[in-house]
Amino acid sequence: MLSIQCENILNNNWKIDKTSSISENDESITINENGKRPLDTENKDGQKKLRIRGLYRQPTVEELNRLQETENLFNSNLFRLQIDEILNEVKVKEKTVKRFQEWFNTLKEHLKTIPEDDTEYDLTEDKIYKHLGVKSPVGIELNKTKCMFKFHKFQDINIVGSYGLGNSINSKLIIDTQITVPTDTYTKNDSINYRYHKKRAAYLACIASHLKDLEIIEELKYMYVNDCHTKPMLEIKPSGKLSNILVVRMNLSCDPESYKLHRFSPVRNNLRESWLFDDKVENSSDVGPPTPYYNSSILSDLTNALNQDFLNETFLNRDNLKQAVVLLKIWLQQRKLQVSGYVISMFVAYLVQIKRINNIMSSYQIIRNVWIYIKSSELDTKGISLFKGSASVPSIEEFHQSFPVVFIDKSGFYNICWDMHKGTYNALKRESALAIEMLDNPNINSFIPLFMTPMHELLKFDHIIRFKNLKSLNEKVYNKVPRSSQVNYGVHRLALVTETVYSVLSRGLGDRADLVLQLVQADLSWSVKKSVDKVKQKCEEKLSFGLVLNSENVIKIVDKGPPANLPESEEFRSFWGEKSELRRFQDGSITEAVVWEADSRAQRRALPKQIVDYLLNFKYGVPSSEVYQVSDQLDQLVVSKSSAQYIEEGSTEVLRAFDELRRDLRALNNLPLDVTAMYGTSSVFSYCRPVVSVCAGRGLTQPHPRRRAASALIKDTPNARPPAYTQHNTVVLELGHSGKWPGDLQAFRCLKAAFHLQISERLSQQFSLPVQAYPTHIDVLKNGLVFRLKIAHPKEITLLQREMENGVVKHRESEEAVMLQRETVLLPRVRGALHGLHQKYPAYGPAACLMKRWLSAHLLSPPHFPSILADLVTAAVFLRPAPLEPPVQPLAGFLRALRILVDTDWSREMILLDFNNDMSREEITEVERQFNETDERGVMYIVTSYDGDFPSIWSRQAPTKQALLRVTTIASATLNYLEKALIHEYKDNILGVFVPSLSGYDALIHLATPLVPHTCERVGHAPERAHHAHNNRHKADDVLDDVVPVVDFNPVDKYLHELRSAYSEFALFFNDCYGGDVIAVLWRPDIEQLKDFQIANANGLMPVEMDGETKYKVNKQALLQDFRILGRGLVLDITVT
Amino acid sequence: MKANKRNHDFKALELKLTEESVSPHIIYFKEHSVREQSPEKPSGRTLFVVNLPPYADEKGLTNAFHEAGTVHSVRFCNKPNETEEKPTKTFLPETLHPRFRIAYIVFKKVAQLDKALKLTKLKPMYETSNEVKLGMDKWIQEHNNSILLPKNLKENIEEFMKSYDADAKSAEEKEKQLEQEDDEGWVTVTKRGKVQSFARSDKVENKIMAKEEKNKKRKELKNFYTFQIRESKMKHIVALRQKFEEDKRKIAQIKQSRRFKPF
Repeated sequence: MLSIQCENILNNNWKIDKTSSISENDESITINENGKRPLDTENKDGQKKLRIRGLYRQPTVEELNRLQETENLFNSNLFRLQIDEILNEVKVKEKTVKRFQEWFNTLKEHLKTIPEDDTEYDLTEDKIYKHLGVKSPVGIELNKTKCMFKFHKFQDINIVGSYGLGNSINSKLIIDTQITVPTDTYTKNDSINYRYHKKRAAYLACIASHLKDLEIIEELKYMYVNDCHTKPMLEIKPSGKLSNILVVRMNLSCDPESYKLHRFSPVRNNLRESWLFDDKVENSSDVGPPTPYYNSSILSDLTNALNQDFLNETFLNRDNLKQAVVLLKIWLQQRKLQVSGYVISMFVAYLVQIKRINNIMSSYQIIRNVWIYIKSSELDTKGISLFKGSASVPSIEEFHQSFPVVFIDKSGFYNICWDMHKGTYNALKRESALAIEMLDNPNINSFIPLFMTPMHELLKFDHIIRFKNLKSLNEKVYNKVPRSSQVNYGVHRLALVTETVYSVLSRGLGDRADLVLQLVQADLSWSVKKSVDKVKQKCEEKLSFGLVLNSENVIKIVDKGPPANLPESEEFRSFWGEKSELRRFQDGSITEAVVWEADSRAQRRALPKQIVDYLLNFKYGVPSSEVYQVSDQLDQLVVSKSSAQYIEEGSTEVLRAFDELRRDLRALNNLPLDVTAMYGTSSVFSYCRPVVSVCAGRGLTQPHPRRRAASALIKDTPNARPPAYTQHNTVVLELGHSGKWPGDLQAFRCLKAAFHLQISERLSQQFSLPVQAYPTHIDVLKNGLVFRLKIAHPKEITLLQREMENGVVKHRESEEAVMLQRETVLLPRVRGALHGLHQKYPAYGPAACLMKRWLSAHLLSPPHFPSILADLVTAAVFLRPAPLEPPVQPLAGFLRALRILVDTDWSREMILLDFNNDMSREEITEVERQFNETDERGVMYIVTSYDGDFPSIWSRQAPTKQALLRVTTIASATLNYLEKALIHEYKDNILGVFVPSLSGYDALIHLATPLVPHTCERVGHAPERAHHAHNNRHKADDVLDDVVPVVDFNPVDKYLHELRSAYSEFALFFNDCYGGDVIAVLWRPDIEQLKDFQIANANGLMPVEMDGETKYKVNKQALLQDFRILGRGLVLDITVT
Repeated sequence: MKANKRNHDFKALELKLTEESVSPHIIYFKEHSVREQSPEKPSGRTLFVVNLPPYADEKGLTNAFHEAGTVHSVRFCNKPNETEEKPTKTFLPETLHPRFRIAYIVFKKVAQLDKALKLTKLKPMYETSNEVKLGMDKWIQEHNNSILLPKNLKENIEEFMKSYDADAKSAEEKEKQLEQEDDEGWVTVTKRGKVQSFARSDKVENKIMAKEEKNKKRKELKNFYTFQIRESKMKHIVALRQKFEEDKRKIAQIKQSRRFKPF
């Protein structure tokens, strides 16, 4: 009863509210008439008052109840409103229904005029098709089946399927119709050796021939779905206005009287081996192995009518059930699961039958229950049955022996899920579990990921296996499967191959993969006048497998098998072949084991590739050149070319050195204030720096550097080799509490410098580290890495905010104070959270690196798109993965981050990153409110849970609208390119998306490559030989360690700083901060305008004579000359395009 | 037309970096004349120059105007008539932002200014471009200069601290003087005086106000009168209503951006 009430309230909320808002207006009008308040709608203030008055009006009892309920069911109420919207959207329009009815009546009349044909044809010959003027819908595989065919007129044509039930979806509307073939057509023995199928095809051809010249039909095609090529259907495209809206499928079913159902029970054989293998001797006594797969294809036609009646009866006048089915179908379509609407309808009907759901429930409650049931169902071991009755039917165990998934129909003989693969079922279960998880998460609007977000296979799977040559794979696998399976599947080889490869892959990958899902593209439709064999040659079927990996298990190097003395070990050995070896483990056990090769974390993530290659080669002799795998194509970008080190290992090295340094700093004595805390704030501390600092020894390519104090100097003699670029790793220090810091900003900074000096002295004395103190920071060399220590103190922020007003000290937000707060308070927290995120999802760091490399490659390096923003956008992939799970491969993470950039409507949406789920519902609402109320906000709005008083501080200043537009444009182009390259073209080198286009810029400044940092990391650059780098590092160990190398000397950055500071009113400058040796210049659009001369605005102007008048214009030539002058020594050339 | 008229006062000449420079900037200059006089920009001797490129420096300008006469001083500004900045002493050197600037060039003699206004051509700023540090040379120099010996850094710090202490001391003394009774018998109350007072900052003010507020609230009875109970109930309803409105607004927003078309 409660549910009914809720339902009603939910239903009525919307309506009641509309009426109540009207009554609100009434009230305000009466007030006006009473003369208490003048009617002045123009007046803004007046309106505001009215609104408040509306909020404070006296509530009615009804309204009170409603509001109370609304509060309690807030989440589902919002959900409910959205459901109504989507259902309205997918409803078939009444106009269409009317038009279709007219059209269908005409078709029906015409079909009834089909003539009887008394001629008996031999179907081994082509005579009948010549007579009919259409081709046969089945191919040559069935040629050897011999039978005679005579056409008998059918009784009627019915509308079945979702349209018949009233739960169809408006987009790509398909209306299923069905003709029941009369019993006389088939003889008793037609059930074997595809005679049934062949006759069915001929019958279909007869109908096609009758329809082929009908003017209400625009296009008439044969078609089959899911590789079911022995059972074709007709696809009819109506002419006129309906043609774009819908297609009609015409299927043939079989009169239930034709055969006894038990002929097709799973243990019976209906396809003789002799037929399949062309044995000449017909041995009728040898019946052969059971053919449940073949049987099911006939059973589905036989039981069709019975099940259709059952569905009609279940769904008749039950709107909520229908709505639920519509929602489930939308959900399935968005997930691209190969589960038909028919199966899901049957499933809902089953749940109605066992009284798990009923029509009194709301559609929301129904789908929730369906998901919960699917989530916990075990159709692969404990099948379910719709059959009720006492007649003897095959037991469910019998079905389990023949089918991976068991769901028995009303008759008790037919398995509705006969052609469902186990992978599909697992995916269905997994998606249901995820759906429930999303529904239960109060912090997201789960409706959108559930129903509105389509999933793309590239984004969904971490790893995709595709077969370049499906024919040869078919051949190779088919020859290895046992004869009984071959007989069972008959001519449906693809299904057999899919099932076989699936079982090998899922066994081989074990718990490395959470999901192995086959992706088969084998639907075909062709004109009735074309031969199916010719059409098939042109369009090939596609088979691929998608893997969702488990981030913990995927990196296992060793697959442990059973102990050597158990009988299972034999089986293990035969599965793995030579790869399997006996191993003794640390815990003393001696077992069979398989060991794979991988050194770095990135290689270990790509282990499935090795495994799949090995297994396919070992089992079926498929060479790895024929298998295309989407997994680690972009890994080249996360490995340093100069040191051959992967980002994750490089970052770990930095973190380890940092830990040691932390210990050293804690142990310093004789300091007035102790160092209490240290936070790393550089991106390397969250594994997000695309180019990890190489050990500083490489900075000392000059053997005897000039030095001052503990630091190396740059030689300023001409022709001196520039020092190699050394990055620093920024660390923020906190000192012990003291009240003695001065209350004056300058004195404060001076004292800080004194601390720098003292800390550096102690560090060099106690630990003999090379240290250099600066007024603003300390540079210290630890394990060959340079750390830049900065002291942070909240007082400095307050001092920056301080202002005197009438003798009262006030604190105002100043830009400088906000920046300092950001760098010293907020950044350490966010960096720490990102570090934690990487620990939890190890694909995060590399994915963020790919994102940054990509942004930079397209010349959008910071400040156009700040680096921390790229980190945060990528973090969104992992923190808000709905409707998917966080990716395991960086490639998938990168692609999803691009998708976020493209799909988010940045003007209306914000991204909230709630690390560790520590924001309460109220806080989230508050942040959302702020987003909606502030007008002056950045173009992107990304809030983290640490932002506090400065929401969206990271996206406040950059990117600009234009930069964001460019980013999203390139991102969508990149996604299109990658989809084409990875899904259709099997490209191994996709680094092209990291090569910028330099067209469209006004001028290009070419820089001297030796002076540009990181040039060797560029995409096009050949990797330095590994041993070379190795040597270098060895040498480094000898010489370094007594001098801080030249830190952070980046001429390109300095040049860009000068250009942007002096010329940003004229032009924008773009470059790639990871080794780009080109700076692209884009003039601002108003540069060509003529201007008047003003003292305050005379920069860069030159006079031009215009119609006898002196006007002024920006002197572009002089500016270009300036670029040369300012970059003397760095700029090679400037080309103007 | 006004602007047009004004620019006739300015003389436009090309300013070259070196003799070989191609396509140089054109700088505009005139005699500096404003009502307010200042010793740094003496009238009659000061030349007002605009549109100086970022790399133009004092030496370069002196060279450029060499033909007119000896330049006494050059003052660079970002804006004309910039109010004289109070020379606050900063410990850290300010970061430089190169940009187009204007300058006031003061000549030794009045006649030299007249001569400068009659120039038809400026000399290049430098004979050879090596005389001025630009590009790589400049950055290398900057970098090397930033590295200080600990001894020097220590000296800098000590010097600054000393001057700061001296300033602080003199300020304190000044305050102390204020403490004294003046001619009319008034005494200014300061932080350091005998009379205890509170710090005058917004923080303290807020604190006091908050305390007042709290006191007021404590005295108030909340659930006493019927109207108060009624009001609190009403408030609850208002909150619920707002929430519902919020809900509706959200739907409208989603509708706007997605229009509920799933495919």
